[in-house]
Amino acid sequence: MEFKYGEKEEKLRTEIREFVKAEMPPHFIGKQFEDETSAEGWAFSMSMSKKLAEKGWLTMSWPEEFGGMGASHWERVVFSEEASYWGIPGLGMGISGTAWVGPSLMLFGTREQQEKYIPPIAAGEPDGIWCTGYSEPDAGSDMAAMQTTAIRDGDEYVINGQKVWTSCAHWARWLWLACRTNPDAPKKHQGLSLIIVDMQSEGLTVRPLENYVGGHVFNELFFKDLRVPVENLVGVENAGWSQLMTALSFERGTAVGTTAAARRMLDELVIYTKATGQIKQPQVRQKLAELAIDIQAARLMANEAVWKTVQGQTVIHEPSRDKANGDILQEKLGRIGSDIIGVYSQMDLGLEDNRWSRLKGAFEHLYHYNIGFAIAAGTTDTQRNIVGQFGLQLPRAY
Amino acid sequence: MDYTIGKEQEMLRKSAREFFEKECPKDKVRELKSEPKAYDAKMWKKMVKLGFQGLIIPEAYGGMDGDFVELALFMEEVGRNIVPMPYYATIALCALPLIAYGNDEQKENYLPGIAEKGDIWTLARTEAQADNSPSEIQLSAVADGDEYLLNGTKIFVPYAHVANMMLVAGRTSEGDDPPKGITLFAVDPKSEGVKIEIIPTVARDGRCEVVFENVRVAQAAILGQIDRGWEILDEIQQQGALLKAAEMSGGAQAAFEITLNYTKERKQFDKPIGSYQGVQFRLVDMLTSLDSLKYLVYNGAWQVSVGEPSRLLNSSAKAKANEVYDDICHHGIYLHGAIGWTEEMDIGLYHLRTRSMIYDCGGTDLHLESIACELENDVPDFIKLYGPAS
Ligand SMILES: Cc1cc2nc3c(=O)[nH]c(=O)nc-3n(C[C@H](O)[C@H](O)[C@H](O)COP(=O)(O)OP(=O)(O)OC[C@H]3O[C@@H](n4cnc5c(N)ncnc54)[C@H](O)[C@@H]3O)c2cc1C
Repeated sequence: MEFKYGEKEEKLRTEIREFVKAEMPPHFIGKQFEDETSAEGWAFSMSMSKKLAEKGWLTMSWPEEFGGMGASHWERVVFSEEASYWGIPGLGMGISGTAWVGPSLMLFGTREQQEKYIPPIAAGEPDGIWCTGYSEPDAGSDMAAMQTTAIRDGDEYVINGQKVWTSCAHWARWLWLACRTNPDAPKKHQGLSLIIVDMQSEGLTVRPLENYVGGHVFNELFFKDLRVPVENLVGVENAGWSQLMTALSFERGTAVGTTAAARRMLDELVIYTKATGQIKQPQVRQKLAELAIDIQAARLMANEAVWKTVQGQTVIHEPSRDKANGDILQEKLGRIGSDIIGVYSQMDLGLEDNRWSRLKGAFEHLYHYNIGFAIAAGTTDTQRNIVGQFGLQLPRAY
Repeated sequence: MDYTIGKEQEMLRKSAREFFEKECPKDKVRELKSEPKAYDAKMWKKMVKLGFQGLIIPEAYGGMDGDFVELALFMEEVGRNIVPMPYYATIALCALPLIAYGNDEQKENYLPGIAEKGDIWTLARTEAQADNSPSEIQLSAVADGDEYLLNGTKIFVPYAHVANMMLVAGRTSEGDDPPKGITLFAVDPKSEGVKIEIIPTVARDGRCEVVFENVRVAQAAILGQIDRGWEILDEIQQQGALLKAAEMSGGAQAAFEITLNYTKERKQFDKPIGSYQGVQFRLVDMLTSLDSLKYLVYNGAWQVSVGEPSRLLNSSAKAKANEVYDDICHHGIYLHGAIGWTEEMDIGLYHLRTRSMIYDCGGTDLHLESIACELENDVPDFIKLYGPAS
């Protein structure tokens, strides 16, 4: 047994901290999804993507032939911890690019697709920004109920239908689209495919959706006779479901980032309560202590899942366990932090240096956004269903 | 024991509900977020005609002489429809103490204005320390001839920017005992030296910073006795907590109903999501917490109406409200899925107000502490029977 990282990983950690000191505004606190909501935020994210790519960190775990450094799982963990702790934006290339589009293309894509789409992601270019179209108005948790169709017509697919909650569509160059290529398939999980769509295509309308606190994170997409060449099919036609499950497992990935971001928020609270004197109050101390336990436990679980992978074991329910646990942790953290900040926690979002906002508004953001996190990428209860069914082998309950 | 709501009370409730549904639909609530006034002056005037502002004000001053239970029921309706308006500030924070502590002249001067003209009042109390404790009150009020000079800053004052008058808590003497030396003044916000700025809160609910720079107020503006203002502030806090809990209870009930209905309609995996046990258990727990809150509020309000207010119940109601409102909004949004997180659905509108309501008349810590004090000072029945433990 050993609960420490190797020398190589710690060296990387030091390098990242030097990078943060040189490249990030001092005392920056990351706010997940916030960069998407404004042009300035997005520009800053893009500039960081570029710098991370230059360092080789943006896609460090990818093989060298795809613009990566072939970094180990543990180096990747350390990068993810550091990036989240310091709030470095621009890691995702539209969330989708680095986490699942690139890795899926490496597995299922054609040589041409790999050569065309992967380099801009690895280079942190605007052409490497992707959004993902899975959800539809009537296909959320029940994703396989999707109705958007792509019907083959000669060398093209003709796409019709609607997607919703598409994060980052207002910045993306490409869409990673799941749709129905065989509407007559007997079962809903059959007849689905993954198709690449150019966001500048004719026949695509993007409508912004505002969240309840006024942020523009996601969008609605409408497809009207949108044509894409058949070369844009990813993998095997009508075998989309299993490819989607693989892509989704990349998306749920690991909770390493969530726990490191939570650690930063806890550290901020400790320093804040020392300054205000609240740290002397038993009820505050105990809440902070509880958070410290939860965060370390979450970190250990996230690392367990990585360790299993390193051992060559298959992880099945662990990412879902960690996503659900992370949702609950962030809810608790948002609430405790807001309680500590007290009356100032009623400030509007996105006000960094206002004289009434505390800790750059980080807790107002977390308090309202953590509900979105709990819904995105499969709701907390969807994760619980997965753990019950696949982790505990319980009979399927729905 | 009788849990029924009286006939007249039911009528009041019904007319309030219908009025707000008609006059303040959710689209209006949304619009008012970008309206700096943060309330609808026309609706406010209509309310005057219906006697809503005068509900708790004695008949002698143009009111309806209603009781505290009725006021609590009315606040439930306000919360149910999340009506943005200065009602709570005017009535709970100012009219009640004016009725209880105002001298004849003050009552004569101020109460009819509220009941018959719809004058807006607010309480300028919170300062930087923001913990509702006596030591929070640092705004200095120094005697200068037969006037007082006020200097200091108040924050998160509701609707100060549209108020006709405000009660200001100031410090008239310093000592070792913070509750001593606080005095309440009735101040015209248009007085020289008052500067008001709207604070950009997430609910855009008309919270203001009010800065006092050598503001002169007359002796006659003192409410109650000099240096004895804490007594009044404490009572405002007690009754205000209860009324805010009533408002939050109404809001939580509505947020729950919206969510419950949604889970019956929304289908995933070919069945209403409400048929899944994970969803059902969440909803059932919500129902239990709502009923707990509702009855704590009713019990507390009834105690006030019969002249036996209970600190234990007031604080229990507010502490419960703080927990329940937050929880129901949070899980209400969650149970809607992504659409609940958008501005299109009403459920999010409820959650915009959570953080401000939690701190109105005391956050959870303060009320838990006050409950613990009551428990500590109480002599339980078994001690009464058996005598103190040896
Ligand atoms: C911030 C954010 C970003 C997103 N980004 C994207 C994106 O980029 N691309 C994309 O395709 N989608 C995206 N989504 C959509 C997301 O994947 C869906 O919202 C999610 O899968 C839930 O679907 P739904 O919103 O339709 O809710 P529903 O499926 O209608 O669920 C409503 C409620 O019912 C519960 N429920 C449903 N079924 C069950 C069951 N069997 N057992 C117990 N409870 C159940 C859910 O937990 C939830 O609480 C995003 C969502 C959010 C909030």
